[in-house]
Amino acid sequence: MESLIVALFVCLILALVTKYLSIPAIPFYILAGVLLGKAGGGLLTNNDVSQFFSEMGLIFLLFFMGLGLKPERIASNRAAVLTSGIIDLNVNMIIGFASAYLLGFSFTESLIIAAAFYISSTAMALTSLIENRKLMLRESDTVIWLMVFEDLVLILFLAILSAGNQNLIIFFVKIIAVLGVLYALAHYGKEFLVSILDRDDELPILFTFAAVLTTASFSMYLGVPETMMVIALGVAFATTDPDAFEQHARPFKDVFLVVFFVFFGVTVDFSGGANWFVIGAISLLAVASKLISGLLTGIFIHGSALSGLEIWANTIARGEFSIALAVLYGSPVVSTTIAAMVIVTSIVGSFMAKYSGILRRGIVSRNRHKASQRRIH
Amino acid sequence: MFDMALRSLNLPGVGTKYEFETDKGDTVAIFFTKTGAIQMYTLQKGCKTPSAAEMSPVEARRLGNILTGAIIEADQESVEIAFSALADLRITIHTIFVTAAVVGKTIEELQIRAKTGATVIAVCRHDRNIINPPPAFVFEEGDAALVIGESDQIRTFENEIMVK
Repeated sequence: MESLIVALFVCLILALVTKYLSIPAIPFYILAGVLLGKAGGGLLTNNDVSQFFSEMGLIFLLFFMGLGLKPERIASNRAAVLTSGIIDLNVNMIIGFASAYLLGFSFTESLIIAAAFYISSTAMALTSLIENRKLMLRESDTVIWLMVFEDLVLILFLAILSAGNQNLIIFFVKIIAVLGVLYALAHYGKEFLVSILDRDDELPILFTFAAVLTTASFSMYLGVPETMMVIALGVAFATTDPDAFEQHARPFKDVFLVVFFVFFGVTVDFSGGANWFVIGAISLLAVASKLISGLLTGIFIHGSALSGLEIWANTIARGEFSIALAVLYGSPVVSTTIAAMVIVTSIVGSFMAKYSGILRRGIVSRNRHKASQRRIH
Repeated sequence: MFDMALRSLNLPGVGTKYEFETDKGDTVAIFFTKTGAIQMYTLQKGCKTPSAAEMSPVEARRLGNILTGAIIEADQESVEIAFSALADLRITIHTIFVTAAVVGKTIEELQIRAKTGATVIAVCRHDRNIINPPPAFVFEEGDAALVIGESDQIRTFENEIMVK
């Protein structure tokens, strides 16, 4: 229990400082876990309570992601979303996988690292677009839809990775059946759900919490993992009143997720036999690989490499989903590598996102300068 | 009468976007973000970088009032609405904190409408609003009254009823 209280207190301070400086908090939560955990004298240790909180954090993160996925939204401007999504997926998965494999990770480990390497932090990308006042830029739309595409791919990854030894077809049929049942419940119970959500007593929040936990607990009986269950619940609830559900689930998500990040940091062990070359290489390649996919997307979608630079700046940061993959499927070495990658990319990313405007203007004026010099000669 | 070019768009995870292009080719975009903040961007024709302002919902409503043609006096909480279709009728809505002169008195006693022509349409008391207070309504200390009338009537109301 003391560990949890120390963790929450430290995070409170970190949250205050990072919000004040308007930089992302996630890398600092992880760093706090690393420094106060194994690496730093063991002030924080994982125990049943923190384990439970962390699990809740992951469950609510994925429930939230499901809520954000409204099927009819995805149907609009399909071509551009698909093009940018496929470029992003291919470039980053291939570079991520190849570099992990060549640096000595096993096939499965490389696959996990590649997935974590591919998926940018939706939370950090969207916050950066809002806080840096970039929403009107045409590249912002591309970034926002890219995040939706990545979420969809993540669901597919999670499904495949969690299938384990099960027959994939039966497994997918089960998931679709679960989704169908939840959809039907949301559809036929819509009036009931909305009447609960409209109340201003404790019922909406209690219901949301209970619904998420109950659904997660059903995974035991169905052989469908918790992750899939809560995403499906989110997707089904999104057809009723997603904003209300977001509002009632947010307090849980916010608190539990912070604990999740810190205690992920606690499990990370940079001191014991961490290969700094490998960690550094993966982290730098993670920054570089999004530059390639960003430039290609900029050129293909907006016809401009400068646009690509803007897309890059806002998608460098890896975060919550990469960590989720590490927690769910990563070996200690993989987790450590992903932790370092998240810390490096999110710090570089927040910096680039803040100064991308200056960078773009700098490049434009240098090109103009060059062009004018050419004219003189 | 909305410009055909007004587009509204739902951006997943961000909020709602409204965008339109003016006749002169400038672009205005408004984003209602999920964080509650409202961002307004303007992009001048031929320019590449938009400029942005972030507002709270209250500030955005104020801006809305200004843009709909109501004039907000900077020093007081007062809104003037002009109905150009009705012989340029100008109605002022004014909020005013009650003074000691009216505390404990009813609206009827003070003969507000007879003396000034203005009408008290609402009173805010302890963060609760009393809409259309009856003539027997008694003012208490700390009340804020919402008065409607022409600007002359409001001035009379301030000078003769709410004497300091």
